[in-house]
Amino acid sequence: MKRAALAFALVILTGAAAGAVRAQTPTDQVARGIRAYRDLEYDSASAILGAALAQPSSALADSDRVRGLVYLGASALYRERRDSAATLFGRLLRIDPRYHIDQLVFPPEITGLFQQMKLITRAVAVVVPPVTELHSPGDALSIWLYATTFHPVDVAVLRPNGAPLRTLYQGGVGDSLQLRWDGRAADGNPPDSGRYVLQVNSRGGDGRVVRSAMLSLDLTRVRRDTLLLPAPVPNSLLKPEQAPGGSGLRALATGLVAAVAVTVLPSLVAGRSSASADRFVVAGGLSVAGILGLRAQRRAQPIPENIAANRALQLAWQHQADSVHAENVARRQEVRILIRAGTSRVVEAP
Amino acid sequence: MNLRALPLVLGFLPVSPIAAQVPRYLGGDLGISWPQFQSASPGGGAKLSGLVAGGRLRVDLRPVSFELSYSQGRLAADTGGAPARDIVEGSLFLTARPLPWLALKAGPHLRAYAAPGGTERWVLWEGRAHADAPIIEGQWLAYGEVWVAVASSVNVSSGASGARGAEAGLTLKLPQSPKLLQSPLWVRLAYVVDQARLKNNAGTESLQSVVLAIGLGGR
Repeated sequence: MKRAALAFALVILTGAAAGAVRAQTPTDQVARGIRAYRDLEYDSASAILGAALAQPSSALADSDRVRGLVYLGASALYRERRDSAATLFGRLLRIDPRYHIDQLVFPPEITGLFQQMKLITRAVAVVVPPVTELHSPGDALSIWLYATTFHPVDVAVLRPNGAPLRTLYQGGVGDSLQLRWDGRAADGNPPDSGRYVLQVNSRGGDGRVVRSAMLSLDLTRVRRDTLLLPAPVPNSLLKPEQAPGGSGLRALATGLVAAVAVTVLPSLVAGRSSASADRFVVAGGLSVAGILGLRAQRRAQPIPENIAANRALQLAWQHQADSVHAENVARRQEVRILIRAGTSRVVEAP
Repeated sequence: MNLRALPLVLGFLPVSPIAAQVPRYLGGDLGISWPQFQSASPGGGAKLSGLVAGGRLRVDLRPVSFELSYSQGRLAADTGGAPARDIVEGSLFLTARPLPWLALKAGPHLRAYAAPGGTERWVLWEGRAHADAPIIEGQWLAYGEVWVAVASSVNVSSGASGARGAEAGLTLKLPQSPKLLQSPLWVRLAYVVDQARLKNNAGTESLQSVVLAIGLGGR
């Protein structure tokens, strides 16, 4: 009876332990593997870390994956599996080309192997701001490249269909390199909105592409709304520019009365003195002026004040319209580009 | 000088503030006139005519303005043996415009006839009323002006009894723009007549002129 109870208890405990193991996340496993490494249990560390790193990439963050790889590589080296260690370090560097191994944690034989792998692994990390807005002529997307080792690269932005949009750089890259892209195609025009790809090809010693870092760039062209033209000056605000013609009799009467006055002035002023016949020239001129005035007054008369006021209104409207037009032209020419960067991934050359 | 009329001259001055609506300007004209001089006296008379050139300058110092004129020419006898003489005239009027169409003027008017036998000088203190009547608004203007000498003197033994005169004419503004009609140039055609009287019915002297002038600035 006692043996049966003991067996039952063992079964329960074993099942509980297995459930606890199954409940561990890959991150926990990495931590556990690192603890095993520190306890000098390299075989156990290799088994635990190997299991954790075998998980799909989505299950483990890159930082944990990198941390697991370096300890797994170190464990492999201590287990005298140098090739495996080198492979693991190479795999690490492809994930994070900027990785620097901690020389306080790892002994020289491990850091030395890591540095050797860094010298022969050609990979580039691409870092861009998550969101960049380009709206001024000098604005550009800042692209930082961090290389594992000096090697030639070519950097290009590809269209959604894979065709090249703009080649940004061809040449060597050492520790790091900053590039700038103004958001425009090779012909200088801004491309349509869409998902573009920033591709950094790392080339081997033979010039062939060994791997590519790819980064998606969601590009959106943002146009500013144009302004509405000001409404034309309504007729209700315009003053009449011509007054309807009058009878003209006043002009005629003025001319004739003045002519008569000229005619009779000598007798009124000089009395019996003989009047000069020259005055009839003036009297005639006044009469003709009166008659012409009669005709002129019958025609519609321009109103200079109203003409000037209307012209001022029209000029003011034209000035406003010109300003709006100029602003709209500027807005149409102004291209704002919003670039949202995705995550970088490395594609090995076939 | 007839001092009794001096209050009338001074009476023109208080109306000047009403003329604030007249725009400030500087204007004047230059022209020629064809005067006809006629004197009548119990002993006979003379008729002379000739050509005179002269000009006016107007300075508007709102609410009053000053009008200065000067003319000079020569008169020759039309009939008879009257000696030819030079005629020189000058005047300075203080002008106020109580209404847009009415101006009142006052000031001295000097006239001299310089003949071989001596120079006859008249000094007339005149009060004048000037009225404008547009024929075509802003372009053609008919005007009339009457005056009377409120004080007068002459260096003739009989002395001056007084003088009066009148002027009527037409000013034509030369259009610059067919719509706005703003031109600083204008032409004046006028008829002027005055008569000065000697005391004790010793005689009269009348002068009639047709004036043609071209002006610049305010009319």
